[in-house]
Amino acid sequence: MRRITYLACILAVSALVAIMIGSAMATGNFFVPIIAIPLWVIVVFACRRNLETVTADERLSKVRSQAALRTFELMVIAGAIAAVVLSSFVFSESLSPKIEGNVYTDTNGTVSMVLNLYKPGSPETPGNLIQSTTIRNISAMDETEATAYCEFRQEAFGGNEQNGLIGVTIAGIVGVMLVAYGAFYLYYDKKY
Amino acid sequence: MKNRIRVLRAERDMTQEQLADLVGVTRNTIISTEKGKYCPSIKLGYRIARVFGVCIDDVFTYEDEIDGPSKDNE
Repeated sequence: MRRITYLACILAVSALVAIMIGSAMATGNFFVPIIAIPLWVIVVFACRRNLETVTADERLSKVRSQAALRTFELMVIAGAIAAVVLSSFVFSESLSPKIEGNVYTDTNGTVSMVLNLYKPGSPETPGNLIQSTTIRNISAMDETEATAYCEFRQEAFGGNEQNGLIGVTIAGIVGVMLVAYGAFYLYYDKKY
Repeated sequence: MKNRIRVLRAERDMTQEQLADLVGVTRNTIISTEKGKYCPSIKLGYRIARVFGVCIDDVFTYEDEIDGPSKDNE
């Protein structure tokens, strides 16, 4: 098998497995990944065994290991800085009151919102409730009420934003790592 | 590390691709080694010398000024 055929084969099989796993996760069928991943590994190894040309040697190993080492070093430094910044958020959050919000539809069809203010660093239980405010019929608010509502809503639903932020942060870290690795790989490939 | 790979290849009318296949590395490794950018392992050095049917000293030359301990030639 030629190198280009090998790459095309691996790409096609990987795409197929990714689609299978994605659709299986979406439908809740967890048996598909259990079968698909080992099958993917078997196909990759079978293709590698039939490969005629050399795909990895000592120079490439050196380039890859140097690129990985530099990426690791970069991520350790960046991680240390990020840890300091994030820890300050963790400490400040435990010292500030927690605001939680809920939106519900009343029996008369109007939409109301409940805002609960809890003691700092305590679980969100009725015993730790400092204040609870209900804004009735949020569709009929005037401009002043709407501004106050927006500010409260932003605070109250901050938890959801934080969850999204974690996902974006993880994706960002993975992206930065891949870019850094790629850049270092190209640098060392040119150097050696 | 100086080397005579290009000369030895030319003498035997051998391409970089052919040499790479014979010693089991990629063509880029042969190119980098020929240019002196990459210093091959002793194993690879011996394999290259064996392909040409010469002693390793006839292929690679160690030079103190270039390959000395103060230089980073890894």
